[in-house]
Amino acid sequence: MAQPVVQTIHRDPALFYWILLPITVVMILTGILRHYAMILLQSAPKKQILPQIRQQRSLMRGINLRTNANVLSPSSFQMRKAYMVSAYHEGKFLADPDARGKPRPNPMSDPAMMEGMMGMMKGNVAMMVPQTLIMGWINAFFSGFVIMKLPFPLTPQFKSMLQSGVGTRDLDVRWVSSLSWYFLTLFGLQPVYNFILGSNNSASQVTQQMSQMNPGAGMMGPEQDPDKLFLSEAENLEVIEHRWILEGVEDRLLAKLAL
Amino acid sequence: MSASLLDPPPHISPQTALYLSQQAPHILKSSPTSSLPWPLSLLFTSETPETWAVHENLLLSCLRTGDDKSARLCLDRMIARFGDDNERMMALKGMYEEATAVDKAGLEKVLKEYEKILAADPTNMAVRKRRIALLRSMSRPADAIAGLVELVDSSPTDAEAWAELSDLYVSQNMHAQAIFSLEEVLLITPNAWNVHARMGELLYLSATASASGATLKGITESMRRFCRSIELCDDYLRGYYGLKLTTQRLLSLLSTHPKPSHATTDPTVGDLAAPSIVTVQKLHELATTKLAEIIRRGSSKEAGWSGYDQAELIAARELLDRDAQKIER
Repeated sequence: MAQPVVQTIHRDPALFYWILLPITVVMILTGILRHYAMILLQSAPKKQILPQIRQQRSLMRGINLRTNANVLSPSSFQMRKAYMVSAYHEGKFLADPDARGKPRPNPMSDPAMMEGMMGMMKGNVAMMVPQTLIMGWINAFFSGFVIMKLPFPLTPQFKSMLQSGVGTRDLDVRWVSSLSWYFLTLFGLQPVYNFILGSNNSASQVTQQMSQMNPGAGMMGPEQDPDKLFLSEAENLEVIEHRWILEGVEDRLLAKLAL
Repeated sequence: MSASLLDPPPHISPQTALYLSQQAPHILKSSPTSSLPWPLSLLFTSETPETWAVHENLLLSCLRTGDDKSARLCLDRMIARFGDDNERMMALKGMYEEATAVDKAGLEKVLKEYEKILAADPTNMAVRKRRIALLRSMSRPADAIAGLVELVDSSPTDAEAWAELSDLYVSQNMHAQAIFSLEEVLLITPNAWNVHARMGELLYLSATASASGATLKGITESMRRFCRSIELCDDYLRGYYGLKLTTQRLLSLLSTHPKPSHATTDPTVGDLAAPSIVTVQKLHELATTKLAEIIRRGSSKEAGWSGYDQAELIAARELLDRDAQKIER
């Protein structure tokens, strides 16, 4: 069996200086620009009014009571449970007791909700615009170049990934086209950004898209009805099994520090 | 003296505070913000988040040691950086004014200022807490308690506020309320051994103050709280001190009530029975030996045992000595 013929393509070294390098540099710079643009576009988190803080923290208090109940003596736990459950049922902690039982208003009509959506929109725009522009720029100037050869062999499945824009069937997979290089840098520069901008940057689109999968994922997202949350927490409180941590602590201690 | 301004210990001794504030000239000599115009200043600034943590701690130390000039400088810098309307800056500014107020009228003025800020923005927790602290230092505990109750009503997950409230209640001899507040702290930080020990102290206090029927129950729970605090933190001096104190008390109580184990159990609420006298005896021995060990090693500053507070060591030694004298007699 003869060795498969090694394809050799003589590339102009100028390809390196005028295509590979510019694409890389431009991609890094756009990432940095996007990071700072996002910082500029970010609106400061809206200040909550006092009843809202109270509502949220009262719910937290219930959760704390549920998770850490074992530090309390049974009698004081029962007392707290009775109080919290009845207060939750009565809606004592609600920021807006009048809105209880009414259906949630349409998020489009709520100005606070609109603001959140605007924030998301801004992020989307800051992501999409440069991407479109650079994609167009690459396509217009650099399409169809084979700019580098990977130093390791690959299976043919990578062909569509590495050779987009170069429509040749027999070209070895190791050759990389300029458009593919663009995509590679688009998705693979996160570590570089981490190095330049610190780990908590908003330069890469991939992370952007990830974070947009679950918008407003928080304890009490605006979409949830606080009353429902309170009621379900009351239910959780009702059913927990209480065990006092101080039960048998002296024996545990003696066993641990055996005299 | 390994205290740093970036991460100072929670309880700063007078010597440490002095040492920290003496670093003021060195820190204030170099400005963290660059004086260059905007785009260039971004490149040449040496500012980090730590810079401002250092400034804040320096401000506190300077106020404490009476170096008001340096404190003012720190404050001005932070205000220049974060703006006048930053919540934290408002509180720090108020603190500076409190510290430099010469008489009661000055303090009243600061208090008015706080109330004005709070009327404009009731969510400003930092200023709210300053107001309460000021009320307390002006020895108006009832007002401070009222303010704190309002604060914990709107922010019931604030452990600091609950702890302060508990402390205020103790100062007013309202033990049941103090214990309730401390239980809230425990719900937020279930593994804080110091809070467990503090709880034991409060229970002990209230048990000794209450009628004889509840004493045994209170002391028993107090002892268990101390046990828990030792379980969470080995060689915790305060925990062992309390354990020794409570077990001593329990031994005398249990010997006078020969059959207490079932009388105090209330099955409806499921509270625990009193421990057997053998267990208490063992715990007492354990506490005594451990205290002796801690005192010996702590006062000779053995490696790994040097963190104890001198005053606490002396108090513990005094407790042991008292015990020894009793045996001699």
